[in-house]
Amino acid sequence: MKPSSMPMRLAAMDFFRDHITYLIFLAITLYFVLFAPHFASVSTASAVLRITAIVSVMAIGMTFVIICGEIDLSVGSVASFSGMIGALLLDQNVPTYVAALLVLGAGAAIGAVSGLLVTKLRIPSFLVTLGMLSIFSGLALTITGTRPVSIVDDDFSNLFWNGSFLGIQAPIWWTIVLTAAGYYLLHQMPYGRRVYATGGNAVAARFSGVRTDGVKIFAFVLCGMTASLAGLMLAARSTAGNPSLGSGLELDVIAAVIIGGTSLFGGYGSIVGSVVGAIFIGILGFGLLVLGLSTSIQEVVKGAIIIIAVSLNRR
Amino acid sequence: MAEAKTSTSRNAIVAMQRISKSFGANRVLSNVSFEVMAGETHALLGENGAGKSTLMKILMGAYQTDEGRILFAGEDVTALSLRERIDRGIAMIFQELSVLPNRSVAENLFILREPLAYGLRVDARKMVRDAKALIERYAFSLDASARVGDLAFAQRQMVEILKAISRGAKLLVMDEPTSSLTIHEEETLFRTIGQLKQNGIGIVYISHRMADVLRLSDRISIIKDGRLVGPLDPGSTSIEQIAAMMSRPKGEASLPTAAAPAKRPPATPVGTPALEVRSLATSRKLSDVSFSIDPGEIVGLAGLVGSGRSTLGKALFGILPDVSGHIAVEGEPVRPSSVSRAITAGIALVPEDRRLEGLVGGRSIEENLSLPRLSDFSLAGPFGPMAKARITALFRQYRDDLNILCRGPLQKAQELSGGNQQKIVFAKWLAMKPKLLILDEPTSGVDVNAKRDMRELVRRTANDGVAVLLISSELEELLELSDRILVMAQGRITRSIGSAHDEAGLRALLQAEAARQSSARTQGVAA
Repeated sequence: MKPSSMPMRLAAMDFFRDHITYLIFLAITLYFVLFAPHFASVSTASAVLRITAIVSVMAIGMTFVIICGEIDLSVGSVASFSGMIGALLLDQNVPTYVAALLVLGAGAAIGAVSGLLVTKLRIPSFLVTLGMLSIFSGLALTITGTRPVSIVDDDFSNLFWNGSFLGIQAPIWWTIVLTAAGYYLLHQMPYGRRVYATGGNAVAARFSGVRTDGVKIFAFVLCGMTASLAGLMLAARSTAGNPSLGSGLELDVIAAVIIGGTSLFGGYGSIVGSVVGAIFIGILGFGLLVLGLSTSIQEVVKGAIIIIAVSLNRR
Repeated sequence: MAEAKTSTSRNAIVAMQRISKSFGANRVLSNVSFEVMAGETHALLGENGAGKSTLMKILMGAYQTDEGRILFAGEDVTALSLRERIDRGIAMIFQELSVLPNRSVAENLFILREPLAYGLRVDARKMVRDAKALIERYAFSLDASARVGDLAFAQRQMVEILKAISRGAKLLVMDEPTSSLTIHEEETLFRTIGQLKQNGIGIVYISHRMADVLRLSDRISIIKDGRLVGPLDPGSTSIEQIAAMMSRPKGEASLPTAAAPAKRPPATPVGTPALEVRSLATSRKLSDVSFSIDPGEIVGLAGLVGSGRSTLGKALFGILPDVSGHIAVEGEPVRPSSVSRAITAGIALVPEDRRLEGLVGGRSIEENLSLPRLSDFSLAGPFGPMAKARITALFRQYRDDLNILCRGPLQKAQELSGGNQQKIVFAKWLAMKPKLLILDEPTSGVDVNAKRDMRELVRRTANDGVAVLLISSELEELLELSDRILVMAQGRITRSIGSAHDEAGLRALLQAEAARQSSARTQGVAA
């Protein structure tokens, strides 16, 4: 064996292993391009991106929480709840932007409460956010006695879903903007380094002067805000606040983050990976739909492919 | 020095013959032959990164050797897997013990092969009986029904050893078995090793503590740059000789005792002390601790394990929540119980447990180095991006300055050897330009030469005007480095002594102080 060939081959294998989900992703996309009718088109691409925007946005916030070594199961019900209060605020003639900011603030507050319970009372985040999931899905239903609230505010619908700017639709803009912001925060700013240190070894981080509690609380705040933004997008899409809009989304969001290579035990992960994970799930769903599979079979295939992807991507 | 050239002896339990191993272009072991007889303790020494652990991983079957073969009890086991080798009787006692703390000694001993009664029930009584018989057979002092978590560390180690030999282990590999033991417990371990030898079990003993090695082992082998030196006869060699053999030929650095740097000149009286502590206490461990350290002074903190030395270090660093009392750095009071305040005030702590408290192992060297002062590295205010070039420059400076062996700034911290990891932790705090540096066992688990590097570094840091609080269990280290030694017992500082004592005198003093304090405490309770 020549001494120089070995590191080259090792490096290639490393690359292959680190990016295995991307390869599966490309393979599956290629399969749909070849076998699903009219799959390779701009309209398909933008449809997929629009469908996945909501999961992408939530996955970006979730990435921070999971890298910290925690989990947030409440994002789906927080999204439903946010959509509801957004619709109710608009119904009360609160100006569009004020309503949107109030809803984002509520999302941040919910995240802060989860974060405080996790860090100060030392309750595992799985339990805290399981409780929050129940509380906010219940509250979303209770506010109006399970009735949806319709939204007639066009500014609102355009801002969060129906509008477009420079030929790109609003949900895709939100994905791009949040990916860039999340990337900057996690990979460029000091806060991101603290997130990795907290998830990698919380004790050593504390011994280095990192306020790990604060880092985690802020991660939950980010996650709550992205969940409420997703709630506004969901409400704008259906032009109504509906108490069950976001239910079950947490599973897709967590799957997207893990498929994207973030470790469920914390310490490793990336923003772009999570967004790619979300798009992966979206393409899978859309492609299976175009192939004509029933929704129930789709779920089975989707679940199996997610397990395979994650098992190949294990650290 | 007897260089016993043994051709595969008949009663060798294990014989590793002409082992070579490369990782990529990097040749880690070349042509190493190593054997252990029945009832023999064979010590294996070497600097961190010399190839000791690679050799042991090849022995266990975690790595396959490139060349050579391994005979176990006369049979070729080179092709066998880790599992199969454990079944044949090769066992490793790890530094981090693998016992279940919440279960009893008996349950730990018989895990996965519990004696069964009718109906596939676990026969708990028989298990305890069998465990007792086993404990008696090897004359260990253990209670079969005690919960393992309640035992002292040395006894947990006994459980681990007993578990291995009760499964038929004929060869035990012990990697730094004394690193977590107190002086008393070490004696227990040494007696255990004696028992094992009498029962014909071979032992590979890996340790950095030369005195123990000389005392315990029947033969000593040294690995240096992937080659084996020896075996040597411990009766006809000395610590100095072994240290010289282990060190890499690098300039004048071959004789550690020769170049002990001189102590600083007698302290010049200065204005404000670098650190002043008055009536420091925590709710459980410390009470009424007062002392001060001048800039450039090295103050040693001696005491037995459990005397509160590490607690004091952590209390000063603000990582304990319930600290009361007065702390001042250069005259400025520092509010206790806040790490960030302590860091801002100029207090730095190199903690005892490097892997748990010192480093984020899965992240890069660079990230670890910059962690305590991330905000200083952000460009354009608090919302700016990280100045990555400046962090890399910091890395280069300390790599060269402290002689850190690594592949580059992005290498993961956990991939480095113990000594180099410790240098990273050190560098992380030196970069903060601290006024007070607290070192908690800075040289534990690093090899002789890294030890010497660390000690020189401590001296150098103090000469730059940094006050140093040195916590160490190695009395010789305290005596060599400190200008003054404080003795702790039962959470109090009981004595302050100049470093005129010798090692034996200091050890006797520590034992006496501990005894005095604990009897004082018992009387206090009785009154």
